[in-house]
Amino acid sequence: MKRLGTAALALLMVAGCSGTSVGDPGGDSAAGGQDGKGEVKGGLQLTFWGGANRAAKTNAVADLFVKAHPGVTVDRQNADFGNYFNKLNIQASSKTLPCVMQLQGRQLNDYTKRKVLLPLDPMIESGAIKVDDIPKEVVDTGRGPDGKLYFLPYGAAYDAVGVNATLAEQAGVGLPPEGYDWKQYTDWMTRAQAKLPAGTFAAGARGSTPNYFIAYNLANGKQLFTDDGKLGFTKETLIEYWEMWEKLRKAGVTMSADSQADEPQSAEQGFIAQGRILTDSIPGNALTPASATLATKPGGQKLTTLPMPSGPEGSGNAMFTSGFAIPTNCDNVPTAAAFIDFFTNDLEAGKVFKSDNGAATNTKVLDAQLKDPALAPLKKHELELYAQIVAKKPPTILYPPGYQATFESAYSRAYEEVAFGKKTVQQAADAFFAEADAGLGG
Amino acid sequence: MTTVSIARPLFGRRRTRNPMVLGLVRHVLLIAVLIVMLYPVVWMVAASFRPSAEVMNSLGLFSKNYTLDNYKQGWSAGQLNFSRYFLNSIVITTLSIAGNLFSCSLTAYAFARLEFPFKRVLFGLLLATMLLPYHVTLVPQYILFNELAWMNTYLPLVVPKWLGVEAFFIFLMVQFIRTLPRELDDAARIDGCGHWRTFIRIIMPLALPALGTTALFTFINSWNDFLGPLLYLNRPELWTVSLGLNSFLDVTGESAFGSLFAMSTLALAPIVGFFLVSQKLLIEGVATTGLK
Repeated sequence: MKRLGTAALALLMVAGCSGTSVGDPGGDSAAGGQDGKGEVKGGLQLTFWGGANRAAKTNAVADLFVKAHPGVTVDRQNADFGNYFNKLNIQASSKTLPCVMQLQGRQLNDYTKRKVLLPLDPMIESGAIKVDDIPKEVVDTGRGPDGKLYFLPYGAAYDAVGVNATLAEQAGVGLPPEGYDWKQYTDWMTRAQAKLPAGTFAAGARGSTPNYFIAYNLANGKQLFTDDGKLGFTKETLIEYWEMWEKLRKAGVTMSADSQADEPQSAEQGFIAQGRILTDSIPGNALTPASATLATKPGGQKLTTLPMPSGPEGSGNAMFTSGFAIPTNCDNVPTAAAFIDFFTNDLEAGKVFKSDNGAATNTKVLDAQLKDPALAPLKKHELELYAQIVAKKPPTILYPPGYQATFESAYSRAYEEVAFGKKTVQQAADAFFAEADAGLGG
Repeated sequence: MTTVSIARPLFGRRRTRNPMVLGLVRHVLLIAVLIVMLYPVVWMVAASFRPSAEVMNSLGLFSKNYTLDNYKQGWSAGQLNFSRYFLNSIVITTLSIAGNLFSCSLTAYAFARLEFPFKRVLFGLLLATMLLPYHVTLVPQYILFNELAWMNTYLPLVVPKWLGVEAFFIFLMVQFIRTLPRELDDAARIDGCGHWRTFIRIIMPLALPALGTTALFTFINSWNDFLGPLLYLNRPELWTVSLGLNSFLDVTGESAFGSLFAMSTLALAPIVGFFLVSQKLLIEGVATTGLK
């Protein structure tokens, strides 16, 4: 029966009708049209990534939603980031995606390419989802290659330059100046290295971090990807960039490749959190957990975050947004749309979620949090830095299908081969371009 | 005399044949290797008693501030608490062990003792399923269980075990039963036993080591299974220990490593206990089924 209902819904869609309700005798869910208008009732499935802390906050928001809409039930599922996507891919291939599913721009086009997501634009036109209080640049990060909105960003993360302020002070170099560029940043590292304690480095062997490279390109006004999903920068740019890191590595300013390979992955354990390096690119919301580890170091070290280095074309900051999407197999679009709108725009919901996954994109929600006297100082710094970045209208990056699987892994591997002395920069750049050209886009 | 004294330096110092010294050297070496292999586990146990902020600080074992907080917080962490997750894991594991023992022993008896058409082909097919990677059948299986409306139940994790899908255990028991003398079956037949009675009264008591091995491996597999529960159990009240442990981790936010290590230590305890209890059976089973 459920299948019949779905088939009927699909037929309606093909016929161009946006029927407000389709009887679904098989289940207790309400069906609706693509514009998200219709009765908000029935069961809804919600899936998101995160650990127990985030699950508690997300559940609290879902409970608020249920309270505001009697008769609605929200079935929740979560897993940590990597496992979340393993599960999501199986659900996508069996057409059983939960009605409200969480995505980032980085994976979005793996799903739009396979046409498993509903465009949200009709729901915005109909008023089911509101975007009035979200900056346009931020909303645009949820768009696919066809220009349609496929997920509504509720939280915007950004990568920042983390600096161990205690070490910087001890080395007598202070923080990099306001509006610093890559030259100033690397010079600052070099000056600091001479005065850092033995065994501590100015930076990691970070030619392998895609997000630093993205920042470098943005600052220099270079496009990362072409519209058809291929590489938008030239091999010369990449070589010049890697040469810069190699110079630092050979001068002993950055850590050796084999020490770097031992770095544990997570905000609490990274080398910057352990006080082994002075500066690193870290996600903006890693400030609080990384600071907690640093505070246990002898003397209690302090961490701060700065915007990415700038360049002739302005700031190097990009936003990495997370938000909710609705799959085509969803049989309860009105409720899904209502939930997404509630999660993103409701003031109470924002208060409960506390910008746990990047700063709240809704400016009113964000303001309310910033004004809250109970906001922890580090979290406040994180949110204020976001406000500062978004005020400069950062460019949107359209990540091609295969970005995470191909680009990120091939990029890191190529630089590691250089750092380990297996390849020259030229050879590694050739290999990376060959791999990326074969695997990206399409 | 001269030849001997010249030959000796050629081969270096004479090797000692004292069994005490040899034994000592061998044991020291083995203990050294053991320490290297056990150290990560010992480290985890030690880390589980350190305050959260200190967990990742050192590779050493000691701290001035040992605490039980990780256990207290970990046990009640998340949406439910670990007593529920342990209970769920125990239920699934028990049902899986019972299922595997039941179905694999019956199937193995049939392949080892009965004559029926296409026996060799079927046995070959059974073994061929071992060559199939789990991930190949993952999506079809997921669709099947979803259509059967088995989501959020333990059925997808338990029912297959009762249908004899674990070719490895069947093979293990077939090999074991083949080594039992057929004369025992013949004697039972003369005394009036049918197949069922021969199976229950003769074969099963003798196949105890193989059953123990099957039980132990099934225990470890279902206790540690992560992907199965992840896919089929969405609601926290159904979660197993492995899913509970996963919820401490979050690369995009804050992780709770102290609690993670505390609960991992507890999660290891049943496996170690089960192994100690069934160690004798296990070693007998491995030694006598030709799986070396």
